[in-house]
Amino acid sequence: MKKLLSVLVSFMLLFALACGKESDVVKAGETIKIGFLGPMTGDAGNYGKLMSQAVKVAVEEFNAAGGAEGFNAEVLVEDTEGKVEKANPAIEKLAGVDKVFGIVGSVFSSVSLAVAPKAEASKIVMISPSSTHKDLPEKGKFIFRDVMSDALQAIVFGKYLAKVENVKTVAILYIKNDYSQGLAMDFKAQFEKEGGKVVAVETALQGDKDFKTQLTKIKGANPEAIYFPNYVAEIAQMLEQSKQLGIKAKFYSADGFSNPQILELAGDLANGVIYTQAAEQPTSQKRKDFEAKYQAKWGEKPDAFSLNAYDGAWIMLNAIKATSSKAMGGNLKVDRDKVRDFVAKTKDYDGASGKITFTDNGDLVANIGIYTAENKKFKQLKMFKLDGEKLVEIK
Amino acid sequence: MNLFNIPHNELLQHLLNGLTLGAIYSLIALGYTMVYGILKFINFAHGEILMLGAYAGYYVYYLICDPSQGGSFVILAFILSLLTAMVISASLGIFIERVAYRPLRKAPRLAPLLSAIGVSIILMNLAALFFGTKSRKFDYPFDNSTIQLDGTSITPNQIMILVVGLIMMTALKLFIDKSRLGKAMRATSQNQPVAALMGINVNFIISLTFAIGSALAAVAGIMMSLEFKLYPTMGQMAGLKAFIAAVVGGIGNISGAMLGGILLGLLETFGVVILGIPQGLKDTIAFSVLIIILLVKPSGLLIKNIREKV
Repeated sequence: MKKLLSVLVSFMLLFALACGKESDVVKAGETIKIGFLGPMTGDAGNYGKLMSQAVKVAVEEFNAAGGAEGFNAEVLVEDTEGKVEKANPAIEKLAGVDKVFGIVGSVFSSVSLAVAPKAEASKIVMISPSSTHKDLPEKGKFIFRDVMSDALQAIVFGKYLAKVENVKTVAILYIKNDYSQGLAMDFKAQFEKEGGKVVAVETALQGDKDFKTQLTKIKGANPEAIYFPNYVAEIAQMLEQSKQLGIKAKFYSADGFSNPQILELAGDLANGVIYTQAAEQPTSQKRKDFEAKYQAKWGEKPDAFSLNAYDGAWIMLNAIKATSSKAMGGNLKVDRDKVRDFVAKTKDYDGASGKITFTDNGDLVANIGIYTAENKKFKQLKMFKLDGEKLVEIK
Repeated sequence: MNLFNIPHNELLQHLLNGLTLGAIYSLIALGYTMVYGILKFINFAHGEILMLGAYAGYYVYYLICDPSQGGSFVILAFILSLLTAMVISASLGIFIERVAYRPLRKAPRLAPLLSAIGVSIILMNLAALFFGTKSRKFDYPFDNSTIQLDGTSITPNQIMILVVGLIMMTALKLFIDKSRLGKAMRATSQNQPVAALMGINVNFIISLTFAIGSALAAVAGIMMSLEFKLYPTMGQMAGLKAFIAAVVGGIGNISGAMLGGILLGLLETFGVVILGIPQGLKDTIAFSVLIIILLVKPSGLLIKNIREKV
């Protein structure tokens, strides 16, 4: 009886697998679907809006260039509100109902970490333009990102503060989410390893607006510098309230600071804040073209993550184009494994954000830039790379 | 150094932070408590009235002036937008009562409560749709540079919140205790049918209650936006906290709402600083207080003085 059952089950499994193949075919007249997963509404809605617009530009260009074997692509935008509980149904829809071949996203690390297993199981290539948590590429073969890892960012920044800026005491105020907490912890470990002292570590919850209690405690610890590895809605509040409390320390942040909304929310207080982000590569013609096209279509400037989203979408679409073939009945056959392998081989891809190369586990090979805000503009000050344990400035 | 091993000026700073937070909670809590006092029903859309009041103030403010220029005209424009926001919020409060609560006045008590939650969700999403979800900066009408006093910092905005809060609360208290309309309000809250028999227009009094509560919410909303920015979900957590403040003080009791708000603001600050409750659990403090009060003294700290009616 048991044997019979197991035979039955294996037949059913085979059948299910065979059926699963169906999802790898784009029928004649339909579009190649890719997804965008990110916050479109809520406090962080601006991040998702800017990035999804970039993906739309990429898809439009792809279609204008003839698509893949004459098949047009289409992007389906799903809103996560930046929350895991909203992202789970969204990825189920993209994977189960829409059967997308790739996903640009998700935006926040917490969300990307949560949806990665489903993308991996459904063999969907996921390229995150902005999730910098160090564990993300480990989540699977199909999980990539074209933004640099926090671990790298935090390590370089820890070394930079201790060695280059000669800062001795730092306080950290971070929001309890994967992105901020990961950065804060990695930075703390590195900074202490370099001989610096972390005099206060304070936390808050995402969505908090009042940080005066934490900042008052930090003021009491009298640090030379304060590190705010958070997103702009919170950083703006922190900068303003620090000023209100008369804190004289220097302020540092990470790439969450690079959203231009900070310039509007924090005004002059954004000036002089130093932060890390992937090093700016020489402005290529490709980037100029993209920025012009983006500006013309959406009436605003893309942020750094949008460049990544645009490149991610193109890498994925190129892979689909290169590996899929015409099948019977005018259908398009897309092999998910081949798409993944093609994406994984990406080396020195000439994108709008610069040259993109993936490491073996799907992480981005990157140099780190030290930036600041000045007169309502972001500016790169220096550029570093890690050579083993050593911090090397790239001139 | 003192009992808590925290420098005096730092302790004073925490006290100040807690008080400003508490003053905002108090202002919002007044609206909850007034409505509850009269209708025995919690208006969960109160937080959204606050948010819409703040947006109304924002648009009027930026319509009539450019705050970056400064000067006395900006202050005038600010006061004008504050008043306009109060009027708009008051009308909105009256409108919501007419549409969503009055038809349900005779229904079981759960029905208007659910209706209120529905209104709250609708308003929040409409705001997100029309105003967008990003945070907006509400520029200060005055120079908000910090004033330093012996290591303790206070901003003009904090002073304004404390002063305006105090004025609003005292005015309301005087209005309810001394004026004829206030007397009619108190009568309505004690016994609606009898108040109606005495010639009081109960419907008018209820509308008035909503109008005053909502106007106060608009003030609180604008104070909040100056301090914490403007966004469609701003009323959510603030509304919940203010509701707790109202319950803590004794719901239906005006002085109780003020006390509850200030107490909650201080507890949230000092719970973290002195009791060492992790910062991430800050909101938990408020909700724990609610549970404790409901268990130990469900009528709230200031029990409403119910006179026997002969």
